[in-house]
Amino acid sequence: MALILLPLVFSLVAWFIPSNITRIFGLIASAITLVVSSVAVCYFEPSEHLLIDFGLRFVRFSIDSLGFTMILLTNAVIFLVFLSNFKRSITNEKRFTALAFLMQFGLLGVFTTNTILGFYIFWELTLLPIFLILYWFGSFDKPRALLQFFLYTLLGSLAMLLSVIGLMHATNQQTYEALLAADLSSLGNTSIFLMGGFLLAFAVKIPLFPFHTWQAETYTKAPTAGTMLLSAIMLKMALFGLLKWVLPIFDGVATDFWRWPIITLGIIGVVYGAVVAIRQQDLKTLFAYASLSHLGLIAAALMLNNFDTNQIAVVQIVNHSIVSIGLFLAAGIIEQRLGTRELGQLGGIAKVAPRFAFWFAVLTFVSLSVPFTAGFIGEFFLIKALFSANALTGFLASTTLVLGAVYMLKAYQAPMFGPTINATFEDLHWSEIAVFAILSIAAIYLGLAPQCLTDFVAHSLPQPTH
Amino acid sequence: MDSIVILFISGLLGLFVGMQKKPLFSIIIASLGLIGAGVAAYFKGSYVSPFASYAAFIPTQGLVIILLCTVTLLAMLGGYKRYKSDDEHTGDYFALILFSLCGAIIMAQPNDLMLFFIGLEILSIPIYVLVGIEKGSSRSAEAAVKYFFTGSFASAILLFGIGLLYGATGSFQIIEIQSNLAIGIWQSPMAIIGSLFLLAGFTFKIGAVPFHFWGPDVYDGASNAVLMYMSTVVKIAGIYAIINVFGQVFRDSYAFWIDLICIIIVLSMFYGYITAWKQTSFRRLIAYSSIANAGLMLFALADIHNSNIFLFVTAYALSTIAMVVVNSAVNDDTDSLANWEGIAWRNPLVGVALVLALFSLAGIPPLAGFFGKFSLLWSAAPHVPYTAILALIASVIGAFVYLRLMISALKKPKVTLPIHLSFEQVLVLVLTSLATLGALYFI
Repeated sequence: MALILLPLVFSLVAWFIPSNITRIFGLIASAITLVVSSVAVCYFEPSEHLLIDFGLRFVRFSIDSLGFTMILLTNAVIFLVFLSNFKRSITNEKRFTALAFLMQFGLLGVFTTNTILGFYIFWELTLLPIFLILYWFGSFDKPRALLQFFLYTLLGSLAMLLSVIGLMHATNQQTYEALLAADLSSLGNTSIFLMGGFLLAFAVKIPLFPFHTWQAETYTKAPTAGTMLLSAIMLKMALFGLLKWVLPIFDGVATDFWRWPIITLGIIGVVYGAVVAIRQQDLKTLFAYASLSHLGLIAAALMLNNFDTNQIAVVQIVNHSIVSIGLFLAAGIIEQRLGTRELGQLGGIAKVAPRFAFWFAVLTFVSLSVPFTAGFIGEFFLIKALFSANALTGFLASTTLVLGAVYMLKAYQAPMFGPTINATFEDLHWSEIAVFAILSIAAIYLGLAPQCLTDFVAHSLPQPTH
Repeated sequence: MDSIVILFISGLLGLFVGMQKKPLFSIIIASLGLIGAGVAAYFKGSYVSPFASYAAFIPTQGLVIILLCTVTLLAMLGGYKRYKSDDEHTGDYFALILFSLCGAIIMAQPNDLMLFFIGLEILSIPIYVLVGIEKGSSRSAEAAVKYFFTGSFASAILLFGIGLLYGATGSFQIIEIQSNLAIGIWQSPMAIIGSLFLLAGFTFKIGAVPFHFWGPDVYDGASNAVLMYMSTVVKIAGIYAIINVFGQVFRDSYAFWIDLICIIIVLSMFYGYITAWKQTSFRRLIAYSSIANAGLMLFALADIHNSNIFLFVTAYALSTIAMVVVNSAVNDDTDSLANWEGIAWRNPLVGVALVLALFSLAGIPPLAGFFGKFSLLWSAAPHVPYTAILALIASVIGAFVYLRLMISALKKPKVTLPIHLSFEQVLVLVLTSLATLGALYFI
């Protein structure tokens, strides 16, 4: 119970503590949630469910091993966000601390709730803090970009709301287990529409190809911490929803109908994102398109709804969180120190800041999915799965490896090497080194021993019928 | 019925107390009357009312009376500052509001169309007067006259509809009309035209397209204090009346009028929200937002056996009152949205109350507005799925109207001049915020 409610408590407490210890409070409180959830995982039997019931009518919680993975990921991301922004003014703001914890609460709710309406409520709840964070701390000179982000997400979520209502009416059930057991085959085409509503919401969040236009601008205008929250954990809600809720529940006609459209969009995203990323001059925009490319791959592979692929997809989800925190932190560091993110105006940082150069390099390699990092396992198996489904798809998906190398190496090489344009560059603060180190260790550990994660998750992934 | 008697007596008392020119006494009397009416409605089931024989006419559910009384109390407290400033007439204003509330309660759940019409007039006439309380302002006078003429016209149409129904069925009693219509009379031209006239009258009262045109001008001309009352109580009473009349009397012609209602819903929502987008005056924005919300409320008619409107109207009333209170605190004279810039920073309570109210209106969980919208759509969506889809698209536009307002309110200003709220305004904002959050109870 403390697992879920702790962030909410912190979010309320954050308004009342003196502002000079806000920064330390945020760090310690997020560390507490991380420790609590780690301890809970240690005592958790992977094949079981942890039921939490507050006596609410529409919202109940049940944590399985996939839920625990996501809880750990969320708490770790929040902790890393606080840690990596320790030297920035943003963590000194009560508002940010409170909103970040509120966000954590919403995310934990999404990952642990057991009822479909609860899923929707928490999904929307996360919009509130991210909107305020982006608005207060981002550099949106005009609210247009922010409102665009909202237009897309709201449209998606309202479509999902209709689907939730339709699903609850059609099955007369609301809990996850009951929905899994419910027979949707009698619904016929209606189930295709219902699934479409969910998919629209997810496609906006992931984002899939034609719905991605909010992404680049929001990422670049958002504060670094906001970008981290968005890309490292908020987008994972959609993949999680796809993996845990939509695919198992709509297994059958609806999934068969949507499989190839979504895979096509995902693959278009993979290629398009990578090609656009190569042409970018702004570091954050580049990483935003890289993110589009990576997530398209995960979404496409998830649609295969194949038991082994789903396990690997979880690895890749975690890996993407690691990569996006690391890369956006690097971009944030460069921007904070130099005031620009334009690749053309950067150069020779490696000579001035060797420690930064080292850690950025490690993260670049993780992102490139070189062997012995989590990305290698993830991408290799996901591409293999797509390849066995359809050779052309697999081939197109595999271009991410080559194109990824092009844009990542460009993103690394341009600011780091070449003529020294930026003579003064303050090297990394200990908190930033700690973040990079944690991320790298996690990525390499997952790369060496992915089975610890896949086996843990396997208990709660539903076995597909075919 | 007891509630109406209590309200009426406290209104009369208030008139006498008002002669003392002590606004505090007036508001205490009025508040006690409202609370007493609410309590009486709550305990209605437990004892036999001396008015039992008349009460048969008005089987009003206690919950609706309590809601109407609470909303009126909030609106009264929120506007107290304005009413107080004119201490010669404070007692009169409160008496007018209480009398009008009597009409709202009679109208909300009628058993008899004649009684319903009387309730409607009792509700409307004090409001015609209240709209004109800014005696020095020509816009207020214009609004009052405009509201009076259009309102009387709508009443006449409604009365004509009731007359036609009487002609078709030979009764004013809702049950009798229903049973007469059920045997096939509803297909007679007289009954059909009667029902259309009734619908037009109702649409006017709740301010939905195509009879919305009075809304913006009247809301704009009325003062904030009156706006709090008329944009909430009138709509709540109107929507309950339309649910009762259409849900009961015209139950058999459901297939005939539901398409019409769907068109009204879609038009109201799109028109209201799209037009609200470009407003620069706060009260006009509230007017267009209320047109759109009137459209949403009509969803209650889609499922006549189970209209989950209560939460939605509560959430709408709470948010609207909170916003208008804030508006009356920041700009009572100019009413320009430009003055809203950065107000969340000028008083933390205003900030919190506004964020909650606007997110609630936009329908973001876990606030009251979401649960209201959810329960409405929950019963309506299976009956009118396509309208529900269109309505959701419209609510995205609506969310933008509210978010734009919020963005401007949250913008950090260069200089912060604190806003001073009076005690009762603080009370109203705290209560509305708590209640908006309190919807969590329903999960």
